[in-house]
Amino acid sequence: MASEATTTTAAVPRRRSFALAATPRRRQMILVAFIVAAALFPILHNNDADIDAGANALAYATLALGLNIVVGFAGLLDLGYAAFFAIGAYTYGILSSFQLEPAWTPFWEPFAWLELVQRMPQPGGDVVHFTLSFWLALPLAASIAAFFGVLFGAPTLRLKGDYLAIVTLGFGEIVPIIARNWSSLTSGAMGLNGIAAPHLFGFNFGIDAEPYFYVALSMVVLLIFVSFRLRDSRIGRAWMAIREDEIAASAMGVDLARLKLLAFAIGAAFAGMTGTFYVAKLQTATPEMFGFPVSVMILVMVVLGGMGSVLGVVVGAILLQLLQSWFLEDLTTWLHALGRLVGSDLLQRVDLVESIELIFGIILVVMMLFRRQGLIPATRRPAALSFEQQHAEVRRGSAIGLKGFSGEKTDVPALEVRGVTVRFGGLVALRSIDLTVPAGGVVAVIGPNGSGKSTLFNVTTGLTRAEGGSIKLFGEEILGLPPHKVLARGAARTFQNIRLFPNLTVLDNVLVGQHARLRTQALGAVLRLPRTRAEERAAREWAMEVIGIFGNRLTPRALQQVSSLSYANRRRVEIARAIASRPRVLLLDEPTAGMNPAETIELAEQIKQLHTLGLTVVLIEHKLDVVTSLAQNVVVLDHGEKLAEGLPEEVRRNEAVLTAYLGRNAGAGSAALV
Amino acid sequence: MSTFDLLLQQTINGLSLGAMYALLALGFTLVYGILELINFSHFNVFMVGSFVALWTLQALGISGQSVILTGLPLVGVLLAAFAVTMVFSGLLGVAIERISLRPLRNVKGPAAMITTIGVSYILFNIILLTVGADSKNFPNPLPTARFQIGGAILELREILIWVVSLVLMLGLYLFVQKSRLGKAMRATAQDPEAARMMGVEVDRVIITAFFLGSALAGAGGLIFGLYYNFTSFIIGFTAGLRAFTAAVLGGIGNVPGAMIGGVLIGLIETMGGQFIATAWTDVIIFSILVLVLVFKPTGLFGTLTPTKS
Amino acid sequence: MTQITRRSAGRLIAGAAAITAIGARVSSVHAADKEVTVGINLPFTGADAESATRIKNGAVLAIDDANAKGEVKGYKINIMLLDDGTATAGQYDPAQAATNARKMASDRSVVAAVGPQMSGSGKAMAPILSQADLAIITPSSTNPDITDPKFAAQYKPGGKAIYFRTVTTDAYQGPNMANYFAETLKAKALFVLDDSGAYGVGIADAFQAQAQKKGIKIIGRDRLDPKAADYSTVMTKIKSLNPDSLYYGGVMQAGVKVVKQSYDILPNIIKAGGDGVYAPELLSGAGFPAAEGWYATNASPHMTEDASVENWMKRYNDKFGMSPDDYAITSYDAALVIIDAIKKVAASGKPVTREAVRDAIQNTSLNTLQGQVKFDENGDLVSKVVSIFQVKRDTRYPADDMVHNFRYIGVAPQT
Repeated sequence: MASEATTTTAAVPRRRSFALAATPRRRQMILVAFIVAAALFPILHNNDADIDAGANALAYATLALGLNIVVGFAGLLDLGYAAFFAIGAYTYGILSSFQLEPAWTPFWEPFAWLELVQRMPQPGGDVVHFTLSFWLALPLAASIAAFFGVLFGAPTLRLKGDYLAIVTLGFGEIVPIIARNWSSLTSGAMGLNGIAAPHLFGFNFGIDAEPYFYVALSMVVLLIFVSFRLRDSRIGRAWMAIREDEIAASAMGVDLARLKLLAFAIGAAFAGMTGTFYVAKLQTATPEMFGFPVSVMILVMVVLGGMGSVLGVVVGAILLQLLQSWFLEDLTTWLHALGRLVGSDLLQRVDLVESIELIFGIILVVMMLFRRQGLIPATRRPAALSFEQQHAEVRRGSAIGLKGFSGEKTDVPALEVRGVTVRFGGLVALRSIDLTVPAGGVVAVIGPNGSGKSTLFNVTTGLTRAEGGSIKLFGEEILGLPPHKVLARGAARTFQNIRLFPNLTVLDNVLVGQHARLRTQALGAVLRLPRTRAEERAAREWAMEVIGIFGNRLTPRALQQVSSLSYANRRRVEIARAIASRPRVLLLDEPTAGMNPAETIELAEQIKQLHTLGLTVVLIEHKLDVVTSLAQNVVVLDHGEKLAEGLPEEVRRNEAVLTAYLGRNAGAGSAALV
Repeated sequence: MSTFDLLLQQTINGLSLGAMYALLALGFTLVYGILELINFSHFNVFMVGSFVALWTLQALGISGQSVILTGLPLVGVLLAAFAVTMVFSGLLGVAIERISLRPLRNVKGPAAMITTIGVSYILFNIILLTVGADSKNFPNPLPTARFQIGGAILELREILIWVVSLVLMLGLYLFVQKSRLGKAMRATAQDPEAARMMGVEVDRVIITAFFLGSALAGAGGLIFGLYYNFTSFIIGFTAGLRAFTAAVLGGIGNVPGAMIGGVLIGLIETMGGQFIATAWTDVIIFSILVLVLVFKPTGLFGTLTPTKS
Repeated sequence: MTQITRRSAGRLIAGAAAITAIGARVSSVHAADKEVTVGINLPFTGADAESATRIKNGAVLAIDDANAKGEVKGYKINIMLLDDGTATAGQYDPAQAATNARKMASDRSVVAAVGPQMSGSGKAMAPILSQADLAIITPSSTNPDITDPKFAAQYKPGGKAIYFRTVTTDAYQGPNMANYFAETLKAKALFVLDDSGAYGVGIADAFQAQAQKKGIKIIGRDRLDPKAADYSTVMTKIKSLNPDSLYYGGVMQAGVKVVKQSYDILPNIIKAGGDGVYAPELLSGAGFPAAEGWYATNASPHMTEDASVENWMKRYNDKFGMSPDDYAITSYDAALVIIDAIKKVAASGKPVTREAVRDAIQNTSLNTLQGQVKFDENGDLVSKVVSIFQVKRDTRYPADDMVHNFRYIGVAPQT
């Protein structure tokens, strides 16, 4: 029965979710149509100025795509994005012009041989002329920009996101100042002269707009591709998990600092590349071209198109660029005409072109208040469940079918807590706690509210620091490890107040749980070699299998956003997410809270099955019937101290426990406990 | 000018700047302490405040550079100007909170911060489009008394800035420490959930924070005008960024920290200009910001931001 | 439902816009005259919008006059107005300037252009215009690079000069004033400031280099953030170095504050700037007594006390409701040069093409508001006259009256 449930009801979402190119078909078509239309544009519309404006718009689209990785995917606000644009621009600008002319020494011979420099005769002695090829400059500028991204991101990414905003803003201010003041390197405020135009197989781009348009278009297409590939990978899921809930992400094995830095670096690399393109096209660069308004403008593009939406930000960028260069003037003329028609003096004086920055401000506020997902949202709402799916008879799943979970037979305790103390200011949340969980056992932790149960979980999983003591997982010390490392060692948890990634699907949530078990890196995600494909396919299969534990409660909803699920289903997703990480110890914080009695029994049954498969379980639970039916051992906490420990039956009769739970009048309460 | 006189003079300059930064920094710190929000609209609430002050003075018949008041009329005019400017700016801050930020209060991520950037742009451009881009003369009714301290010169208006700023900041400090609402503010900053459960009206606390912060920014705008004798649509950005740095330096969320941070940034700016070059001022200030964040993220005097898990 | 109405409303708007656009085009077609177009490219969006408008008005005045008087027989001169300022950049945007250059180049009816205001835009436009053989006359961009023969390969790949100026470059204005500092004012110890902008840095650099050559001791150099309000730090620092003179390279955004705050802290030294401070804001924005005694230069012969100039300024004022600044005059002159060139080509019976107009501009010899305009083979003015002024309040006139509050001192020495 159970296995049948997983196969039949999972059939529909499976087909869709396993298609590795996760872009829905309709969007792919739109994308292809857009690229074809753009590619034909210079041919059909042979106007140099419009082609040039198009190339500029496309350059801004690449910038928006880069910022989207930082702001849209990873949820980090970068207000100095133009700085990386500047770094990329000056990289090519300086290395392909006459700005630097050091004296010629034999040191430069190998570079000359590589055609990176030329020996230029001068009256006062030969000098070096830098002649870096545009095509080499693209990756070089990307790397240099990424390097600075890491350099400046690293100190702040440990802090909350807000500080990053202000530090990036500062960085955005500093870079143009340095460009202005360091005039021997950058020619300062006067601007660079003599930047070489790109060459390709002997063809000089010169000043025609067309070749630049096609380079810009190729860059947009490339970056759209890269964005999609990253988004639909282990890396992209981790970014979005960070965006949705940092703490849950790190508890599910995501190394926050590393992935944030990666997002920051990749975003910076996009901007660096675009900078090189931009300066090659203009053949000049001044510090004024990279000020704060540019950073805000790119942010407006991302916000308008839709944060996190790859196609959205491209549309946002192109829309705003065209708005500036074409529509606003027409609209103003039209408004004036209307003003003359109705005799309104005010309308005749309105100048939309002048008010463009005001319009930007209004776009930012209005989008944030009324349409945060942008014009083209990143995730469309999946189709509602069919009537049959919604009203289908509840089929309970089973963990029995879960393949690849083998119990560990060892005498080393799964979890061994010794003398752990946690203090918040003057408050002692845990005082020298000892706890042993045997491998393959189920231990319940009970106690009144505020007794330190969740703190015990937090300290075990690295979310809270302990003052002393030791926590060993299968004999290995884990106290002091950051959360993602604790998960990697094999302790996964759920949270009392459910911490899912609300805007991700059930499937993606569960896939994030596997983060620590997958290997794919950014490059692998982009190239998607057979190994990556295989890994991703296996990850999805495993995720569906784990989701299948809960029968048809979750499986038909695998592609729904978790924010649309019922409370009980969210609990199930959180448990599935934890199980997906293939833990050796599973820590469940009030798993049945908010469930009705039937659901509670069902879940208790499923937990028991997991235990039968060999998984060690630590459980915080208030419902004592659940505790009694599952736990082999019960630990009672009160005011941060261990009050009692023993078999459920023993604990239930313990005077001290009754007192703690029910006050002095213990006799009356014993009935309730039974 | 001896080195000592020079240092004294630059200290006087730095204290005047610092007083203004401190007034602005308080607004950042109050709002951040409670909402964990970097309020970029604060930059231009300050700028709008300086224009409101300009119009108020003009409405009181003080325009041009020639009207110089003394005694009671001066006190009266200044009190009226401060009152009108601070109330208007305060209400502007409340309106910003009410209209654009309250609906986003429970929205995660950068949405609220982006909104404040939008509001900042809107304020900036409304003034630019209505008043124009050139800087406007700001009337100065203060007598131009100068005191010679060694080789350094201390002007009456500088003393005024220090006194007024100090009074306002002390007032705020006492309010936060002693009043019921102030205590509610601190409670909310510590733990909004617990505060709510203890019967604190969080909405009221937030509105108060916006009102006070913005009113102080408005006062800063008026002081700015009196000190520099001009105002312009552009004054918010640089001053705002430096004030924010001051708030971080002092420990964001920490009221006395913001005051000391403001003064420190003022002094750093003048000493940096003296001994390095004003061309590098922003680089120096932002380097300090980054260094503080790296080595002492809680600022010099610790933060009062909530510790949520 | 709502979606449909919204969409149809959108279509309505688009349709109406198209109709008005067509309407505008139809109405502009005159019956008899042939038409040529003159482009005007200036940053109307962003920080420099106001001065750009003043410059535009100068050129518009000249072209409107010519059309009204039928200056070029059988031809009507249209204006193509282009904005190279963008909200993206918050000011002039070289990328937009390049687009605009292409726009003009691809429209064969455009025979010449006025602009740009900023050298940054000029650098992006010159290569494109050179390829198209389209002449542009800048009324205000003074960075010498663009017309420097050293960079000819980049800025005039087409071979001929296309970037003309009705102003003198920084290469003369700064140094000539430095000569005046050394020869006449006998400055010994000098501090130099600039406002971070391309113009300010360029003119301050050129001034400083020549001053040094002339034996003036440079006791310091610093750079101001035009957006910052407080310059008392740098003024105090300057005071501590005991200079006898201060030179400020830059425009009035920072200039107003420099003048005000230097008056408080450095009341008794020689203070001067370039044509950036030869502006009404020096008088009205900084005000008196702070502005009193400041020197300013102008990269053209002094004309404004001339009766014809005064008459011109009145006409400008009446037509546009604002007072002209110096670049309004150079812009008017630029348009006069273009009109004259079109006239000569038309009179010779040849078709009025941009190539012919360029050649005619190259050979210009025309009396304008600033005196006789002639260009050398690079496109620079042959006359390198730099006029010096000093602010001296004439209480009979309003405080922002440029003509009467800037006293003409004379021509700055060229060596």
